Amino acid sequence: MDQSPIWLSIKLAAITTLILLLAGLPLAWWLSKKRSLFKIITEAIITMPLVLPPSVLGFYLLLMFSPQRGVGLWLQQTFNVQFVFSFPGLVIASVIYSMPFMISPVKSAFQQLPASLSQASYTLGKTHWQTLWHVLLPNIKPSLLTAAVLTFAHTLGEFGVVLMIGGNIPGVTRVASIAVYDSVEQMNYNAANNYSLILFAITFAMVLSVFIYNKYQAKSPLE
Amino acid sequence: MIKLFTKTFSIFFIITCFFDTADAQTIKVAIAANLQPVIKALKNDFKLRTKIDLEVISGSSGNLSAQIRNGAPYDVFLSADSNFPQTLRRDGLAAKAPAVYAQGVLIICSAQNLDLTNWNNLLMTNTIKKIAVGNPAIAPYGKAAQQALTKAGVYSKVNGKMVFGESISQVNTYITTGAVQVGFTTLSLIKDAANKQQLFYRLVNPADYAPIQQSMVLLKRAEKNTAAEKFYQYILSAPAKAIFNAYGYHTQ
Repeated sequence: MDQSPIWLSIKLAAITTLILLLAGLPLAWWLSKKRSLFKIITEAIITMPLVLPPSVLGFYLLLMFSPQRGVGLWLQQTFNVQFVFSFPGLVIASVIYSMPFMISPVKSAFQQLPASLSQASYTLGKTHWQTLWHVLLPNIKPSLLTAAVLTFAHTLGEFGVVLMIGGNIPGVTRVASIAVYDSVEQMNYNAANNYSLILFAITFAMVLSVFIYNKYQAKSPLE
Repeated sequence: MIKLFTKTFSIFFIITCFFDTADAQTIKVAIAANLQPVIKALKNDFKLRTKIDLEVISGSSGNLSAQIRNGAPYDVFLSADSNFPQTLRRDGLAAKAPAVYAQGVLIICSAQNLDLTNWNNLLMTNTIKKIAVGNPAIAPYGKAAQQALTKAGVYSKVNGKMVFGESISQVNTYITTGAVQVGFTTLSLIKDAANKQQLFYRLVNPADYAPIQQSMVLLKRAEKNTAAEKFYQYILSAPAKAIFNAYGYHTQ
């Protein structure tokens, strides 16, 4: 069995999780503050990948990244990069697709922190960023871990988007979920079974560890 | 409230039952993805002649074969090669021996105005970033493309640019959306009336790939099904051949 799809999936999930940690934390923090119409709309857009079929996202990404026009053409001419059928393209798709899994648990954790925490920090002359980094984040560690693990596991489970924009290229876009599909289509059930078992084992271990870690809080993973 | 709900549901249920019996004269036809353009014309013509409706399921030949093995309820299977139907026949899943209904034509195609005369040289240049090909393991047109690329001596050199569609229709999507600069597909894409877009193409020299002998097979479950038998005979008839020819296929 070719192991590259497994490693490719893990690489994709790790990079996606890292990007979402960096970009998602400030965004979740901003969303947890006072509500405004703009924020509600932003949050609704971020949540869309939860309810949209992955094929819809895949279709629009395919059109958007097509080097024929618009964004794709500009990217091609300016940076000579092509996102469709490339690993960076999969990363962008995964970041969009897994965003709700990062944002929503972190946002609710921020909202549940008592306001006195940050107020005390401001009183002691700390800036917004210092407060976020030294006071708020250490207090939401369990939710952060849950969000990171779920983002990782969810990216491992991606299929529809990759099928639409990946192009099944060995070592570049043939992630484990695609390798399962490909093996089944070629009636190579043995390989399909191997990939599936590995995927199942990894994701089950991750989800289980989240539940064990959070057992005292008895939280659903999507909080 | 519950009463109302039950009432509505029963009415709905009765109506659906009625609809189910109303169109008993349909047959389920599994087609290789390259036939998507031509099947619409065949379907309409067949309905005019027999009043029988087709329910079409499209996919890569390999994928459909696998589904048939796993008990998919299809009556007739139109493959893009002869290999898959023969294997189905050998394994006792077909009602009779497969018959060749058309010969496919492989083209190289682009949504951009490229000069495809010397495509083997063009593929090596920087103009071409990605080349779409059907998955050779399950899409016969992909296999033919692989043969043509090997024959042209560029297969190993352009390997890094290749993108695999899971069936020829995905390759067509990649070509028409411009996601790839060129792709290897079926001539019927060009003849498709639904395709409003201008495409630039060139026939691949037929000597460069093994003939794409497209076979059809009547499946076990349709053994006693006269409607399915009618369709099987229709596909081999002169009117159907004329339609195939109009869509760029060769027929004997």
